[in-house]
Amino acid sequence: MKYMFVILMSLLAIAALITRWTAPDARSDVPVLYWATDPNPARIEQIRLFHEWLVEEGHTDENGGPAIELRLDTVSGDPQKLIIQGVSGVAADIMDRGVPALEAYGLLVDITDEAEQMGFGLDQTFPALGEALTVNNRQYGFPCNVATVNFWVNKDAFERVGMDPPPQSWDFETFERIGKEFVKRANPPGERQTVFFCNALTDWYGTMVMSVMMRSLGLDIFNETVTASALDDERFARVLSLLYKWTYEDRILPTAADVASISGGAGYGGAEFSMFSEGKYGMMSSGRWCLIRLREFENPPNLSISQFPCDQFDNANILTRAAGVYAGSAQQDKAMLFFEFLASEKYNMHIVESADSQPPNPRFTQTEAFLRPAEYPHEWGTHETIARIARTSAIADARCPYASEGSVYRALVRAHQEVMANRETPEEAAALAAQRINDDIQLNLAQRPALKERHDADSIIQRKIEDLLEQGEPIPQEWIRNPFHRAYYAEKGLLQP
Amino acid sequence: MSDAPTHRRAETRRLLQGLAFLSPNIIGFMMFTFLPLLFSLFLAFSNWDLRIHNMFHEERLSWVALENFTRLLQDPDFWRYLRNTLFLMMGIPLGIAGSLLAAILLSKDLSGGTRTSRVRIAGIALMTSLVMLGSLGILLVMGFRVTGMMLLIGSLACTVLIGGSIGGATIYRTLFFLPHFTAGVATFLLWKKLYSPQTGPINHGLRPLLENFGAVIVRLPDALIQGGLWLGMAAMAAVFMRGLLFLRNGWRDGELGGNAIITGGLLLILPVCCALFWLTLAPAAYALVTVAVLALIVLCGRDFTRPRAFTCPASEGTGVALLSGAFLMVLGFMFLGLSNVAYALPEMAQDGLTPPEWLTDYDWAKPAIMIMALWMAIGSNNMLLYLAGLSNVPPELQEAADIDGASGLQRFWHVTWPQLAPITFFIVIMSVIGGLQGGFEMARTMTKGGPAGSTTTLSYYVYTEGFETGRLGYASAVAWTLFLMVLVATLFNWKFGSRRTND
Repeated sequence: MKYMFVILMSLLAIAALITRWTAPDARSDVPVLYWATDPNPARIEQIRLFHEWLVEEGHTDENGGPAIELRLDTVSGDPQKLIIQGVSGVAADIMDRGVPALEAYGLLVDITDEAEQMGFGLDQTFPALGEALTVNNRQYGFPCNVATVNFWVNKDAFERVGMDPPPQSWDFETFERIGKEFVKRANPPGERQTVFFCNALTDWYGTMVMSVMMRSLGLDIFNETVTASALDDERFARVLSLLYKWTYEDRILPTAADVASISGGAGYGGAEFSMFSEGKYGMMSSGRWCLIRLREFENPPNLSISQFPCDQFDNANILTRAAGVYAGSAQQDKAMLFFEFLASEKYNMHIVESADSQPPNPRFTQTEAFLRPAEYPHEWGTHETIARIARTSAIADARCPYASEGSVYRALVRAHQEVMANRETPEEAAALAAQRINDDIQLNLAQRPALKERHDADSIIQRKIEDLLEQGEPIPQEWIRNPFHRAYYAEKGLLQP
Repeated sequence: MSDAPTHRRAETRRLLQGLAFLSPNIIGFMMFTFLPLLFSLFLAFSNWDLRIHNMFHEERLSWVALENFTRLLQDPDFWRYLRNTLFLMMGIPLGIAGSLLAAILLSKDLSGGTRTSRVRIAGIALMTSLVMLGSLGILLVMGFRVTGMMLLIGSLACTVLIGGSIGGATIYRTLFFLPHFTAGVATFLLWKKLYSPQTGPINHGLRPLLENFGAVIVRLPDALIQGGLWLGMAAMAAVFMRGLLFLRNGWRDGELGGNAIITGGLLLILPVCCALFWLTLAPAAYALVTVAVLALIVLCGRDFTRPRAFTCPASEGTGVALLSGAFLMVLGFMFLGLSNVAYALPEMAQDGLTPPEWLTDYDWAKPAIMIMALWMAIGSNNMLLYLAGLSNVPPELQEAADIDGASGLQRFWHVTWPQLAPITFFIVIMSVIGGLQGGFEMARTMTKGGPAGSTTTLSYYVYTEGFETGRLGYASAVAWTLFLMVLVATLFNWKFGSRRTND
């Protein structure tokens, strides 16, 4: 038996050595950088382009090949995995799963100086993204792409039922009226409903649409100084109540049961693209990345863009898949080259052509290749609209240093689900959501005295803001930390010049 | 004398060899289980938050004593998810009963018998194969329509039955055990598809049944429908009565002590108490329940207060009373539920009866998971353990009972069941541990804890707090509270469970 034991041990040791020897790192002649990202097929081409760009820019090894090898780590693309790996010191060198969230754990390097020197500063991207790329006025990331999530309209589906496509911007009532008319015309009476106005606005998409609708009513998740949640408000309750009505009473949005039957998902392999393409959904909420899939269809539909419905204050969201450099990376200097690449024309034009959302630099959204891609005339008009929205009415999410991003997201999703499941009234759900976020803030403050000091100071300012608002007087811009309130009060003329 | 040092050396060598063989496991256990366990205990008393306590942030870790535990007691989510966990655990008695039933069935000789009958079975098998081929054809030609799918499922079921008839218990044993060695996530995804509200085969099967049933219900006189309510109530009363009689007989024969009577009685009375709350709209049922309960209490109370011929310690038979009481309690709740359904049926049928939306419905998500867990439990290790236990029951005991004129049920209750006591004890402990710790994979794969947190269990909560929010200290406190619950449940089982065949 002991010989068997020794033999097995030896075999395992040999297997371990072989594994190590054949591991990718061991076989590379140049330094290897790992990029933790999502499993989008477009990443393969982006890596190829990066290697090509390195050679073009003279970053080569002695054989003339690229001086760095960039490899994908899509397995670690899940934010939870990335965080656990990051705090354990073994994460990928470059990560693009949410700059503020990763920075909260201290996982990202401050790249402000390098960005200025190497040309990937904030001036090279959309102005509205400042909030998503910086913390305390220091830059921690640069966009791999930029998106505004809107409704992509299947114009053919509307034409088939004898309707004009929806307008680019609309209020709640118009959205409801057109939606009801569309599902009425598209579904034969007496049969199970199979056509919906748009895909399910739940989970992540649910938070997107809720945020835009709330903001259009003058409300955001957080108050002006982001010291507390403002969700315990009748305006949030109204949004929840409308979503319930559209889903269960008007039946213009699919229910969770409808979605479960469709097995849909708007990811890269989801069935929602087929549903949209076939006209089963008149519209689909997505960023420009949906075109990657839609272009694969034999007869893609003619498209237009409609914003999420808004009340008085017309607004849209703006998101970015921003990359940052891992603070534990041994090759931070080399990783900076990747950011230089992200700001380059080569990469921006690749994003333009591949439709992997909008390019990091808004300059490239003015190009003919972006506005009117020759091969896809059915998309013309959409690109121009989304680029305009990103430049004009889009507002980034407020970043609250006192609350954890996960808790905020879960509070919103839960409020939505509780209303949809008839467990709480919209008013109760709104109050509970605010309470959950505020409890999370208090818990964080109790643990971090330094943060509490800042919170106390900001809370004093918050009271001053509320006093000024009560008196109807303008507020100093520097007091406001929430980007929504800056834009909202500016439009209402309530901001001090 | 000169042999002693040599002997000692040989002993030492053997000890070292033994340790060398064991060392990989011991080292692995220490490094990856024991030390992390100790570490997590330390974490439970600290304020470890991954966002501020990691290699890139140098904030000091603080000892917070019992703060995490006191917060936990005030956390409404913790109590809510504990309730979810306990609700899902209500399926454990049914799972154990199911696996025992499966084991009993599989311990029988199920083969076809004579040559002629085997030929007949083979003929049926051929026909089933043709039906299966036909249904596959329909699936391919008509684009996987429902009819073809249902035919395929039906013919597969026939094949299983016929295969079992030809191949005997081995085929069934393999099939029953199949869920256990199928990967969990694959099973969950499969069930998710089965539960699909519009396109899933379960609802496809239920929909026409319910539609026709609803149409019939609407036409029936209300009084007849209300009979269902009475039937359900009567069944629940019968279960309650059976339980009380069991307790009374056990008490009288000196098999159950005072603790057993109290524990079993409390479990039995629970559905009845709930009935009094739930059925306030049906005064007749309310009266029936009250009268039945009072009558039975009076009847049995007389026996409990009299001095008995055979005495026993107070803790005697508590485990048996607990298990039987839990099983009858679940049964009572089931009948109560059915009578409630009967009560509400005419109104529900007005708009037509529709199948449940299962995983996407707040009220049905937990039962849906319970049904799936029940399916998994029936064909689990428990079934194998019972099978092994059944084969070890001495046949002479069965024969003796047979000679004494015991019926099949009596033989099972008085001979087989007591012989299975050690196995049942083990299964109950493992099931309770599994139940308290479980639910994570199901929730993560099938519902993400929703809708609105209805399927979030404590283990899933540990994950979200630990890895989504980053509060490792608090997550550890929840995990250790879970451990304490498991420990208490195990100690309770240990103290009161029937560990030996002669208990």
